[in-house]
Amino acid sequence: MVPMNHVLLLSFVLFCIGAAGVLIRRNVLIVLMCVELMLNAANLNLIAFARHSGTVAGQAFALLVMGLAAAEVAIGLALVVALYRKKDTVQVDGINLLKG
Amino acid sequence: MEQLEQLFSTLITQHIFTIFGVLAVLGAGAMIFAKSAVHSVLGFLLAMLAMAGAYLCLRAEFLAVAQILVYAGGIVVLFLFVIMLVEMTKYKERKLFQRQAPLALAAVVVSAVLFLGVFLKTLFGSSAEVALTLKPALTGDGLNAATHNVQAVSRGLFAEYLLPFEILSVILLVALVGAVVLAKAERS
Repeated sequence: MVPMNHVLLLSFVLFCIGAAGVLIRRNVLIVLMCVELMLNAANLNLIAFARHSGTVAGQAFALLVMGLAAAEVAIGLALVVALYRKKDTVQVDGINLLKG
Repeated sequence: MEQLEQLFSTLITQHIFTIFGVLAVLGAGAMIFAKSAVHSVLGFLLAMLAMAGAYLCLRAEFLAVAQILVYAGGIVVLFLFVIMLVEMTKYKERKLFQRQAPLALAAVVVSAVLFLGVFLKTLFGSSAEVALTLKPALTGDGLNAATHNVQAVSRGLFAEYLLPFEILSVILLVALVGAVVLAKAERS
């Protein structure tokens, strides 16, 4: 049996790494990957609490989150490709179209 | 099945979970600090596979397989395709990190320490051990979510949470159409 606090700690650490990655990296692809990592950390919590309570709701919800993450990646990568065509860069500070 | 049950209930699972957790953290760390974007994707892949192992330790077999299929099979390949498509070498990627990176890291560390300070007693106090241990229990239909994981999850998905499931399929369709529209070359 896995103690709950280990699971919570792991998901917390992973979420922190994801948040740090979103804040520090310039490459938009890596920022997207970090967002995925944060979603995964949330998933881990959902599964842990589903296991803790013995119900299946958390696992079903984690599956839905996984599907949403896949949709998000598809849209995000399409946006990256479109931006690359327009601005010839995938660095987040190169993307300043609204600045005029 | 009996032996499997015993194996899962023993202390071994805890150690396996710890190993997977360390692997996931290492992969995630490699992801955010790697120089090359391809190495980042490999770190991400390691983290996702280790997460799948962690799900397995939590007796969520279906989700572990779904995780490998969706992330290792789909998303990682998609990322690799886009990295090849956008030619990382063409533009200068000498500056990997944002200017405010040290500040951002410090902010993350400070908030992490604050969080841990608040929750340390809850997570690791003497009262936490009993209350927070994971126990297998029966679902409403008499299915054990741990031993009959796939049956229980499918019952949940297709009976109790059918509407969110169907809404998700619509969202996926919209994402599909949106991705095609966005990525299509503009005709001038």
